[in-house]
Parts: sequence; C-alpha cells; structure tokens
Amino acid sequence: MMISKQEFLVRAQLERETLEAWIEEEWLIPGESADEVTFSDADVARVQLIRDLKNDLGINDEGVGVVLNLVDQVHGLRRVLTEVLRSVRSRA
Amino acid sequence: MAPLSIRMNGCATNDAWPTRAVSRSSQRHALRIFFLVEAAVNDLYETLGVERSASPDDIQKAYRRLAKKLHPDLNPGNKEGEEHFKEVSAAYGLLSDADKRARYDRGEIDATGAEKPRQRFYKDFASEAGAGNPYENYSGFADFADSDDVLSELLRRSAHVRARGADVRYHLPIEFLEAVTGATKRLTLPEGGTLEVTIPAGIQNGQVLRLRGKGRPGIGEGEAGDALVEIAIKPHPFFLREGNDVYLDLPVTLSEAVLGARVTVPTPTGAVTMTVPKGSNTGTVLRLRGKGVRRRDGSHGDELVSLQVVLPEQPDPELEAFAAGWQGGKAYDPRRDMKS
Repeated sequence: MMISKQEFLVRAQLERETLEAWIEEEWLIPGESADEVTFSDADVARVQLIRDLKNDLGINDEGVGVVLNLVDQVHGLRRVLTEVLRSVRSRA
Repeated sequence: MAPLSIRMNGCATNDAWPTRAVSRSSQRHALRIFFLVEAAVNDLYETLGVERSASPDDIQKAYRRLAKKLHPDLNPGNKEGEEHFKEVSAAYGLLSDADKRARYDRGEIDATGAEKPRQRFYKDFASEAGAGNPYENYSGFADFADSDDVLSELLRRSAHVRARGADVRYHLPIEFLEAVTGATKRLTLPEGGTLEVTIPAGIQNGQVLRLRGKGRPGIGEGEAGDALVEIAIKPHPFFLREGNDVYLDLPVTLSEAVLGARVTVPTPTGAVTMTVPKGSNTGTVLRLRGKGVRRRDGSHGDELVSLQVVLPEQPDPELEAFAAGWQGGKAYDPRRDMKS
C-alpha cells in the first residue's frame, strides 16, 4: 500500500527535516509515482527500526548506516538462500 | 483460582484476619493480590534480568545486551527470539520511564500497563517484499555470482540486484616481434567466443591490458567487469630485449672484422645495412639508433649489435698457413687479465 509523504510523517511520527535527512543518508528510499514521493508500510516499520537503533540501542548516526547496510544484506542473503533452497528442493 | 486460596497465599500468615472480613471488600483485596501474583510470574525486572533496585543505567545496559541478541531486525531468522524480544521491549518500555516504573513498583499498574508490543517488525515487510524490496543489498555476496552456477543464475534473474560484473584474467603469449611492432590478437575464451586484443607497439613482458567491459556481465543494470590480459612475450631466437633496447649478437667473418665491411643486420623492423669498422673485434658493440622498441612517448630505443668474429666452419689450409707464419699472432695475450 502506498502512503503519501504527509501521511507517512504522521504514521511514522517523524519531523519533515528528519525525514529529509534520512532520505539523504539513504536510510529510507521512497518510491515515486506521478512526481511525488511515496512510502510503504515497510518504510514505517523501518523508521521504527532506525529509532530502536538510535534511541534504545545507543547506536550513533554513522553506526545506523552501517547496521542498515548489513541488515539489508542479510535480507538479500535470506531471499537468495530461500530461492536456492526452493530450487534445490524442486530438483530433489 | 478461588479467592480463598489466594488469601492463603497472600495473607495466610496473618492470624489476626477477622472472619467477618471475608466479605465483598476483602474479596476485592484478594483479587488484587491475585493479579499481583499473576503479574509476578511476568515480572518485568526478571524479564530484563535485573534487580528491583537496578539503576536506570543498569536497566538500559541489560536491555541493550538482550536487544542485540533478540531484536528481530537484527536476528531475522530467530522466531523464539522475537517473542522474547517483545516481552523484553515491553518491560524496557515501562521500566525506562521513571514515572511508570514508580507506579509499577507501587503496584498501581501491572506489566500490561506497558505500551502495546509491536506486532510487525521491519523484517516482516522485508521478507514479504521479495524482489521488490528497494533496500535489499547484494554487495556482501555478489561475487558468488562469478563462481557458482546456481547462485549466479538466481542473482542474474533478480531484477533488482545491481552489481558490477567481475574482472576476468587471461594470459596471452605473443611473439617477440609482435610486442615490438604491435599487433591484433584474437583470444579464444574458455567459455566460447573470442576476444580481440590490440597489442600496442612496445608492450613489456608481464604488462596487463585492461579491456573495459569485456569481463563478466554485470548483474541487473550493473556494468560489466573488465578483461585483464596479461602479456607474456616469447623469447626470440636471436634478439634479446632489455627495456626498450634490443640486443643482438652479430656473427662476422674474420676478414670483415679485420678489414671492415658493410654488412646486413636484422632489426625488429627489418634488415638494415651497417658498417663494420676496420679492426673490429668480438665484443665490439655498435649502436643502431632508433632501431629498438617504441617508447610510450613515441621515441624508440636502440639496437645494440655485438660483433662475434667467427672462423670458417671447415678448416682452411690457407688460413692455417697464414697463422703459422704470422709473427704478430704470438705477440699479444688475450688472457692477460685472467692472470693472477
């Protein structure tokens, strides 16, 4: 489901400046449709993850980028691994 | 559970408990104890593994220690951890708030007074999104695509993966003269197909030519890797190369050496005529300027011709007669430097 920027700010409880900064850092990558940026439920959850990292786990801004990058790699790996397992099983 | 048994648990030591008091109000009291007892099963301090007297700092530390191991987004495959984390996170949510913690300690709110635990984490969306996840990142293992068939195919099929293809190294032996004058070589690839390699004039042995985009194809929209072609120059039967100069041992006859002559000398770019001066000897070096290898700046090295005086292959009676009667031949010692 696509969420407009306005709604996203409300749902994620984010300041506009913070959002801009996070997009600049590529912590968030908004989608685009008809020359306006859009967000998803996944982005809302990602904001919560970023908050957990920054506030609860005490990770600084540089660290957040590193953690997100690794998390994204883990998801890439998990998906490829899932596909590999599926293809192995279908051959077996 | 009956209120009576609770009373036993909570207040059994109180001998002075008035019989009359087993009324509605005491039942309410008992119920409250019941809930506190229930809550104690889920004691928030126990959940975080800290003492009731723990400082806010200790609580934060304990939470961070647990969260590292349990946060679902940092441990996306750990299902039990996820449930545990919800409890831990709820406990921390309450205990990290000084006001709520005080109320919890006084028994004014129970463990569920904490924020509603989160139902879905980022990882749930990330794993549902499949190939459409814009954050998904392959930089940690895109290199697998080069080595393994199953993986490389899968990675290539993934529309959203983008990675530069790998560089591929080749070894290309070329002839000595090709290295000097330049050439175009065709490299047959192990996986089929050919690769045209332009050898620039003057290439050095061991030099690596980088052919942009001729390596492995990129993944998705990623650019292709490069082909790295290492050049091995084969030795030549009579030329020897040192940097940009070419060395040649040139055999000359005795008469040419003694009397001088115009002789034909091979160079990498074709034969030239050279004057052997009168009285030349074995080891005399003559320089042919500009007949060496092309340098990067367009100038050329030299060819250095070292003369080797060679006697005729068959014994020659006339020469023998001459040498026997030649007094000067006994008057010099070519080995004088070897005497100790």
